[in-house]
Amino acid sequence: MSGSATPWGGTAAKAPRQPDGFADFADGTGAALKRVGLRLYPAMAPDRLLLTLPDGRELAWPLEDLRRLPDQAHEDSLVLTSAADPLARLYLNDPRLAGRIGAHVPADSLWSGPRPPLARILKWGLGAVASVALIIFLLVPVMADQLARFLPAEGERALGDATFEQIRRVLDDTGTPLAICELPAGVAAVDAMVARLNPRFDDLPYPVRVSVLDHDLLNAFTLPGGRIILFRGLIDAAESPDEVAGVLAHEIGHAVNRDPTRDALRSAGSIGVLGLLFGDFAGGTAVLFLANSLINARYSQQAEAAADAYAHDLMRAAGLSPAALGTMFVRLREQYGEASGLVAHFAAHPALSQRIEASLAAARDIAPGPPALNADQWQDMRGICGGSLAARLGRILGK
Amino acid sequence: MALGELSTSYAGRKGPLFWMALRTGALTVASAGLYRFWMKTRLRRYFWSAVRPGGVPLEYVGNPWEKLLGFLFAVVLMAFYIGVVNLILMFLSFSLFQTNTYAYVLSFIGVLPLLFFARYRARRYILARTRWRGVRFGLEPGAWGYAWRAAAHWLATLLTLGIYWPRKAFFLEKYLTDRTHFGDTPLHQGGRWTMLIGAMKHLYFGVGLSGVVVAVAVVADQPRWLWPLAVTLPWALWGLAYWRAEAFRRLTSAKEIAGAHLTSQARPRAVLGIYVGGYLLTVLVVAAGMTAFLFVFGFVVGGIFGAEGVFQALGSELGGENGGAGGPGTGSVPGAGLPFWIATLYGIVAYFSSFLFWSAAKHAYVTLPLARHFAETLEIRDAQSLTRVRQRGRDEFAEAEGFADALDVGAAL
Repeated sequence: MSGSATPWGGTAAKAPRQPDGFADFADGTGAALKRVGLRLYPAMAPDRLLLTLPDGRELAWPLEDLRRLPDQAHEDSLVLTSAADPLARLYLNDPRLAGRIGAHVPADSLWSGPRPPLARILKWGLGAVASVALIIFLLVPVMADQLARFLPAEGERALGDATFEQIRRVLDDTGTPLAICELPAGVAAVDAMVARLNPRFDDLPYPVRVSVLDHDLLNAFTLPGGRIILFRGLIDAAESPDEVAGVLAHEIGHAVNRDPTRDALRSAGSIGVLGLLFGDFAGGTAVLFLANSLINARYSQQAEAAADAYAHDLMRAAGLSPAALGTMFVRLREQYGEASGLVAHFAAHPALSQRIEASLAAARDIAPGPPALNADQWQDMRGICGGSLAARLGRILGK
Repeated sequence: MALGELSTSYAGRKGPLFWMALRTGALTVASAGLYRFWMKTRLRRYFWSAVRPGGVPLEYVGNPWEKLLGFLFAVVLMAFYIGVVNLILMFLSFSLFQTNTYAYVLSFIGVLPLLFFARYRARRYILARTRWRGVRFGLEPGAWGYAWRAAAHWLATLLTLGIYWPRKAFFLEKYLTDRTHFGDTPLHQGGRWTMLIGAMKHLYFGVGLSGVVVAVAVVADQPRWLWPLAVTLPWALWGLAYWRAEAFRRLTSAKEIAGAHLTSQARPRAVLGIYVGGYLLTVLVVAAGMTAFLFVFGFVVGGIFGAEGVFQALGSELGGENGGAGGPGTGSVPGAGLPFWIATLYGIVAYFSSFLFWSAAKHAYVTLPLARHFAETLEIRDAQSLTRVRQRGRDEFAEAEGFADALDVGAAL
């Protein structure tokens, strides 16, 4: 060895020209680094980068084979490899030399690495999608339907209570759970309406519990365990107590058919799977929530039709016209327009027109009795959230 | 080149990393998560290449495609487990105990060995795709062995209220290190677990005393007795930084490979400074980023809908003719008079943007400075023997880090 100026020592005579610079070289067989001399455009092969090893051997890398490692932290230096010798590494720490040689490296160097055959990606992708779809749309629903039948009444009620708290929290923008409306007179009116409908308790192992939530949404839903939730927006929009009674009867139908229990078990199974699929990028819970409500927001058409049919029976038995349920559907359609777009997907029920017709058909041969609530009770129900003008104004200004 | 001692330099810079994390994060959101395999690959290349023992950068050669395939593979297996098992547990828990707590606990316990399994596999994949001086690292197979040992040690740690922690940390680190190879040469973790007790002392005091204070206040029903937390909680934070630096320093300084010894001079104070300063800067960046975002969104919306739309928005907020008992979208969302979908879009974009700013700023102001500190205080003594290390074969590893990715553990970075 004769020092760093001619690291290849005695073989210097073989090199007719001084090298353009030096770099560290790892040949990919071991962890020993070799100091190599580099020459661009050697006379005998101008399209190559000539590496002169310490022992005098020479490697000639074709310039078009040069590859730059991407996304490197150090901006002045360069790490190169060769397509023909992908394990070897050349570490150029001299910024001037790195710049000169870097100018010859093809631009589309190692970016994302070699792509496996497209067929294999497709096969795996389809396999994953198919198995997830099978689980979410077939296995979990079938199991949920079976298990819902065997869930004891206390279990259903607990499931409903847990879900109720979650929903109250989700629906409110301010961070505190949404208020439950429970002015005593209003609660008495709600109880009177339930009593008038007189759901057959051999259909349900537990009494129906109705809560009104202080929210503008024109909607109502049922949770496991006979827990029915009406939004104030629905009571505000109804023009007669019979219309609210119709919705209530429909929701009781869902409770009797155990639709909410099935739904809750279904989402317990599918939400974890969706979490798997999307990963937790940027707090993926929002995507999860969106995706899950798209899957589970509504019951099937059959479930809705069955709940409607139950409601018609219940109303007729109570001396109320099932047509009131249809009237409520008309208001729903007016409120949310011709069911279209994202809003419709979350808020509207499918095939409303058919269901309106069905309620009219059920009302054809009935001679209705008195309305579901008398005038005073109806006022009390409309005021269940604190219905005075002052309270209403305060609520609007508060927003 | 008989250099006996190799020091480590660090080349990463906050600015380029911040923009890379922000850009790739935005692409990940825009692609519904698909780009995250590319994002991870690119960030790792940057972080790895910034660490330069003896002036030669580490290299990450993982491939996003193999991550994607590995993830799909794991999804096929895991979807069944997660979907069906969670459903049955939820059913049993409500049937027998009328609560979902048991389902969550059981589901967590059931998935725990799987988490450790996934973590080991992810580490094996990452090491197999890490090179230095062109030579591959590697980890011997042994994921199930790791999984049950880790589960047992975690159980012991829980049962002893954390007192067992140093022994668990040492044992698991030794299990991993003794199975780690650089080329054909194994690493060795020396030392004893007792050497980590000292590294825990401030955590023991900080967390232990905080627990005592809370317990006393709760039992005596005296909220005012909580004031010592003002001392014990910062102590616990100092304990965390102290553990992080000291445990790393002591464990690293007892590692050895082929006669070469690693030493670390990591300093608890530096780590604490990075925790406090880094997270403070991160919060500031998120605040600044979201303010900028509000302005940009306002200008874009104003540009599309013109002055009319903005006036409508103002009008409905002041006069309320469109407000009142309206449908959804007329809540307290900014720009209440604008179409519903704009308010929705605003909400979604704002939500994701805040996460993007947070993760990019955290990479730049916390992860990178920590990596810099641990790298710059790392030395390899008697390094000449490393030149005898030979290359090892490629670990094909079809599933990559799919399980860890699906379970969201260990493979973060």
